[in-house]
Amino acid sequence: MLSKLSRRQLLKSMCAIGALVATGVTAVPSWAQDKPTAGGTLVYLEKQAHTSLYPPGAGFYPNAGVLNQITDKLTYQNPQTLEIEPWIAESWDVNADATEYTFRLREGVTFSDGTPLDAKAVAANYDVYGLGNITLKQTVSEAINNYARSEVIDAKTVKFYFKAPSPGFLQATATPTSGLVAVSTLGLSADELGRAPNIIGSGPFVVASEKLGTEIQLTARKDYAWGPAKVKQQGRANLDGITVLTVPEDGVRIGALLSGQGDFIRQVHAYDEAQVKTAGYTVYGAQTRGTTHAVAFRPGNPLVADLKVRQALLHATNSTEIITTLFSENYPKARSPLSSVSAGFVDLSSELGFDPEAAKKLLDEAGWKPGADGIRQKDGARLSLGAYESLNYARSKETLQLLAQQWQKVGVELKLLAGEAGTRTKDDLDPLKTPLVPTKVERADPDVLKSQYYPTTRDQLRQKGGKGVATEFVDKTLNDILDKVASEPNTAKRLEYTGDAQKRLIEQAYVIPLFEEPQSFAGAPDVKDVVFEAVGRPVFYSAWLDR
Amino acid sequence: MGVAEEPRTGVSAGSRTAEWWRPVLEQIKGIGPATWLSYAVLILAVLWALFPGLFTAYDAITGTPGQQLRAPSLAHFFGTDALGRDVFSRVVHGSVHSLSGAFVATAVGLVVGTALGLLSGSVGGVVDEIVMRIVDVLLSIPGLLFALSIIILLGFGTLNASIAVGAAAIAAFARLMRSEVIRVRSSDYVEAAIGSGGKLSSVLWRHVLPNSLTSVVAFSALQFGSAILQLSTLSFLGYGAPPPTPEWGLLVAEGRNYVATAWWLTAAPGLVVVIVVLAANQVSKSIRGRA
Repeated sequence: MLSKLSRRQLLKSMCAIGALVATGVTAVPSWAQDKPTAGGTLVYLEKQAHTSLYPPGAGFYPNAGVLNQITDKLTYQNPQTLEIEPWIAESWDVNADATEYTFRLREGVTFSDGTPLDAKAVAANYDVYGLGNITLKQTVSEAINNYARSEVIDAKTVKFYFKAPSPGFLQATATPTSGLVAVSTLGLSADELGRAPNIIGSGPFVVASEKLGTEIQLTARKDYAWGPAKVKQQGRANLDGITVLTVPEDGVRIGALLSGQGDFIRQVHAYDEAQVKTAGYTVYGAQTRGTTHAVAFRPGNPLVADLKVRQALLHATNSTEIITTLFSENYPKARSPLSSVSAGFVDLSSELGFDPEAAKKLLDEAGWKPGADGIRQKDGARLSLGAYESLNYARSKETLQLLAQQWQKVGVELKLLAGEAGTRTKDDLDPLKTPLVPTKVERADPDVLKSQYYPTTRDQLRQKGGKGVATEFVDKTLNDILDKVASEPNTAKRLEYTGDAQKRLIEQAYVIPLFEEPQSFAGAPDVKDVVFEAVGRPVFYSAWLDR
Repeated sequence: MGVAEEPRTGVSAGSRTAEWWRPVLEQIKGIGPATWLSYAVLILAVLWALFPGLFTAYDAITGTPGQQLRAPSLAHFFGTDALGRDVFSRVVHGSVHSLSGAFVATAVGLVVGTALGLLSGSVGGVVDEIVMRIVDVLLSIPGLLFALSIIILLGFGTLNASIAVGAAAIAAFARLMRSEVIRVRSSDYVEAAIGSGGKLSSVLWRHVLPNSLTSVVAFSALQFGSAILQLSTLSFLGYGAPPPTPEWGLLVAEGRNYVATAWWLTAAPGLVVVIVVLAANQVSKSIRGRA
């Protein structure tokens, strides 16, 4: 028996076939794209399981993949223009030195538990994100700098005060790390927030159920009516629901997509792109504005404490070879520690040249002479460095192995380390164990550099005063510049400081930028209008299934 | 059973007869084609481990960018991997890691397990009870799980993985050795040796140990095969040596991401593991059959 729905589908597919016959095979019926169909469940295959869904933890892709669907933000950053547009906040004022922000909120917005999303709730959210909560293990959001306090002016007006200028704050209200949740959710510890059904947001989808680590069911909120004001999609989401499945095996994910068991997948490696495209599927290389995929040194380790050694390794690195061997045209060569589509980007490619001869000369000057096994030695120590692969980035293991081949040619050994999660985490804090690390973080604001390299944030260089153990290394010049980037209210000046920070990172050869890593997704041909926000996380609010 | 019942001594066989090769020839005649093939496979694997340069000219560690992900061809029997390395060369060079690992694992199990079994079976009484109850506990833990726990304590790496696999096999060796020792211990010639004033330790060494070993040797051939498999499993899971070491299990693991585009990266090393393990099993079967 044909149900009403399937009869409609049948009719539609017959129309589609008719249209194809009439207009030639390559033509797509125009109505198919213009009018979204409501209904259906999208199956989204994620590479990794989410960790804590405490919103400031949304830097981790799988977390943002869920949080983006179930939470709203104060503002919306247009992924094309990078302009900040209204969302939950209808309008806002910023004072001249960026220390006070006032937001006027939209009315009638509720969380999925029925409580209102008003000034009080927003203030409660930002007090936690800006100051953290040690007892509940809720960290300070890396996107928010210099936060002092909030003030509820009236039910729909909230004001934030900062200890020092915080020019990045307006953009911070639009990042995936600033999703708004109900006050009751804020009362849960970071561990309890690992369970998706505990997250009460106001977003277009609600968590219906979860099988921890493997599956999350999201259902559309029928009464949702407060999407970003300027986007095309309005009202409730087109989809009825989303099934998020964790599928860590690359081959299985691709296979499931191509055989129709999944509709949308995250992370398609360069070597699978051709196959996916040939089958008529779409590969999305969503740009992730922020720092480029790089390796960062921990100068607290004596082997890489010498600037000349770091510079030598910078020039021994052939990023073009890495891209042509392992990646595709979706991965542009890095020209700075910051990606070329980020505000404040400075082209430093002239400093990043591949020159093995110069590298050898620098190592000679630094006193490292080739030993019997080809690896350079100095005072009995071998120039042998270790690094763990990063599980979060595309083909990190292969990248490091290729890098090892390149460095081997100038007499430096790079070994891939192996260890279980606990050892890894511990070693990562100790520059003596991990003299370098693959690194990258996304955010469409110059603050991203501070997030990545400042001692009290991600501290990728393991400076003294940060998370690192047994390190005496500190670069005050760099930290001062990063402070200025995060607190200069004048935009032009701020971008200038952003340039200075990039130059400092390369002058000191703290990082070797390799390529600009996109977030690669693939979707079935009938999945339409999936949007990626400014840092490449998917948003399924406007998505629909053309079937 | 006739052969096993005949007392043998630890004294070298060479002094017994000038025509020592005659029984060897007899034995060889009895070997079927499957066993021949198995021996050939194992010998080839050992040759790969000893002289990899004879079998492949390619570098197993350093790849050639631009040559990545080539399909199998006459130039590259097993194709090339993502970094442009010849996979056949990696399998050949990897055999030394897998075989020596399996050798260490079997040696650990054999030496410690046999010693425990000999002690338990010959001394008997409380010692036997204690050793056997410990063995019971060890046998109740799944081998792989036990090996994983040990490796977490020792740290990752090929040698540590071999020790872990070997330790997991100690219990099985001990149980087998004990049963053999108890059987041999009750035979007349052992009773006679003890009755005529032999010291327990020298009787154990001269009579009990050599006559109990046949089954244990057969079992160690079997164990050698399963050690290759377990080591491959551990390195597949990432507990063995880190890349770019061409360990067989690691090759399978590295290749599996490319299953959709380059299935041979995982299939070829996988097949090699299967063939070598089957060969070891066949050899073990043949040793046991003749014993």
